[in-house]
Amino acid sequence: MTIITQSEKQTLNLGKKIALELKGGEVIGFIGELGTGKTVFIKGLAQGLNIKNIITSPTFVLMKVYKTKGVIKQLCHVDAYRLNSSQDLIDIGIKDYLSKKTAVTVIEWANQVKNILPKNKILVKIKFGKKQNQRILEIIK
Amino acid sequence: MLILGIETSCDETAAAIIEYKPLKKVLSFKIISNVIFSQIPIHIQYGGIIPEIAARAHIKNILPVIKKSLKNIDFKKIDLIAVTQGPGLITSLLVGLETAKALSYAWKKPLMGINHLQGHLAANFIEYESKNVFPAISLIVSGGHTELGLIKKSGHYQKIGQTRDDAAGECFDKIAKLLKVGYPGGPAISKMAEKINNKSNNIYFPRPMIKTNDFDFSFSGLKTAVLYFVKKNKNKLEKKKFIQNICAETQQAIIDVLIYKTIKASKKYRAKSVFLSGGVAANQELREQFKLQVCKLPNNIKFFVPSKNFCTDNAVMIAIAAGLKYKNLNKNQKSQLKNNWQKIKVDPNLEL
Repeated sequence: MTIITQSEKQTLNLGKKIALELKGGEVIGFIGELGTGKTVFIKGLAQGLNIKNIITSPTFVLMKVYKTKGVIKQLCHVDAYRLNSSQDLIDIGIKDYLSKKTAVTVIEWANQVKNILPKNKILVKIKFGKKQNQRILEIIK
Repeated sequence: MLILGIETSCDETAAAIIEYKPLKKVLSFKIISNVIFSQIPIHIQYGGIIPEIAARAHIKNILPVIKKSLKNIDFKKIDLIAVTQGPGLITSLLVGLETAKALSYAWKKPLMGINHLQGHLAANFIEYESKNVFPAISLIVSGGHTELGLIKKSGHYQKIGQTRDDAAGECFDKIAKLLKVGYPGGPAISKMAEKINNKSNNIYFPRPMIKTNDFDFSFSGLKTAVLYFVKKNKNKLEKKKFIQNICAETQQAIIDVLIYKTIKASKKYRAKSVFLSGGVAANQELREQFKLQVCKLPNNIKFFVPSKNFCTDNAVMIAIAAGLKYKNLNKNQKSQLKNNWQKIKVDPNLEL
C-alpha cells in the first residue's frame, strides 16, 4: 500500500488511522532518511493509541516505553539510528517487548537492525516527495 | 558529612567526594575529589555512543575511578553514597547503580538514588551560594533533554515545558552528522561557527515554536530545514566557509529559541534567578548570549550557569544533589537509606 501525504499533519493523521487497526503484538519497522517524518508518524500512532505523553525522540536512550489502556497496554518506541547491530537492542531489553501480545513495538531506522525484526513485521518506508513537505509512504505487511 | 557521588548514565564514568555542611541559610560544599573517565574518544569512531561498548568501558573503569576519588580517605568516613538512577542508557546506568549497591552493602553505608537531571540542576550550587534565588526558572539542555522548570523553593520542581521531539543536544548531533563535521555535534558545530566573525550570509533557518504560547520546544523541524538546505546547495558543500555559515546559523537558531522561551518564563513567573545547566550549557555562545539577555531584564534577575566542566556529566553534581535532598529528609527517611541497596532500581526514562 502506497500513500502520499502533503503535510506533517497528514502524516500524523495517517499514523492515527493505522493505530486503530492494531491489535497488539505488532512490530513496525520504519525506514527513511533524517527528516522524512518517522517520529511524526509515530506521534500519530501514539495519539491513536490514546497515549497522552509527548512522544520525544528516543535516539539518546534508544528505547522509550509509554503506557496506555485497553488491549494494547504499552507502546515501545525504539530508535536504531546510532546502532551498528541488533545486539545493542537485545542488550537494552527489547526482547521483553517484541513477543508481547499487549505491546506494540515501533522501530525507527529498522534497516540498521534487520535481523531482529520478526517474520510478521510491518514495514513503513518513507521517502521525500517532489514537493516540499510531501512524503511517499509505503506500508508493507 | 562526606558524600561519595557516582555517575554512569551515559558515556562518562565518574566519581566524586564532596564535604557538605548543612547550614540553615547558606549551602556549603567543598569538593574533595572529582574524577571523570570520558569515553568520548572510544565512541568518536562510531559517531555516537554504542551501548555495549559503553557498558564494557564503565565496568572496566568504575572501580579504578572510585578508588581514585577516595584518595587517602578511609571509606569508613563516607557518610552517604549517591548514585545516578536515571534517566540514561540502561546498560550504562546499571554499572554505576549495581556498584553503588554493592558498596553500600559491603561498607554498611546509606545509599541514595539521584535523578540525573536533578544533578545537572544542582551543579548550579557547586560554586554559588543559593541565597534569595527563588522562585527560579531552570533550563536543562543536554543530548537527551531540553526542559524548562519552575522552582518555587528549595526541593521544589515543576516542569513547565519540554521538547516535543528532539533535544537541543541531539539536534546539534544530527546536524553535525548531516554536515559531516564531527562528534560530539555541539562542540563540532560551535567550533565551525566560531570562524564566522560577522554574519553577512543569507542563510536563515526557522526558530521552531518560538511564537507559541507555551514553554515547549521543537528541534526536529530545524534539522529538516538544514537537510533541505543542504540538498538544495549540494554544489557549495565543498566550500568550508559555506559549512561554517550553516553551523553558525544552526547554532544561533537553537540559542534564540532557548533564550526566548526561558526569558518568557522568567517574566511570567517573576523569577528572581535563571539557572542554566546540562551538557549544552557548555556552549560558549549560549552562555554569553544567555547572560546578556538575562542581565537586560529588570529587577536584577540573577543568572547562574556552572563552569563548563560541571555542565557536562560529572559525579560532583550527583553528590551535591544528594546533599540538597538529604537536607529535606526527616529522621525516619534518613534511617531508611541504609536499606536502599536492596530496593533501588534503574529507571532509564525517569522524570524530574
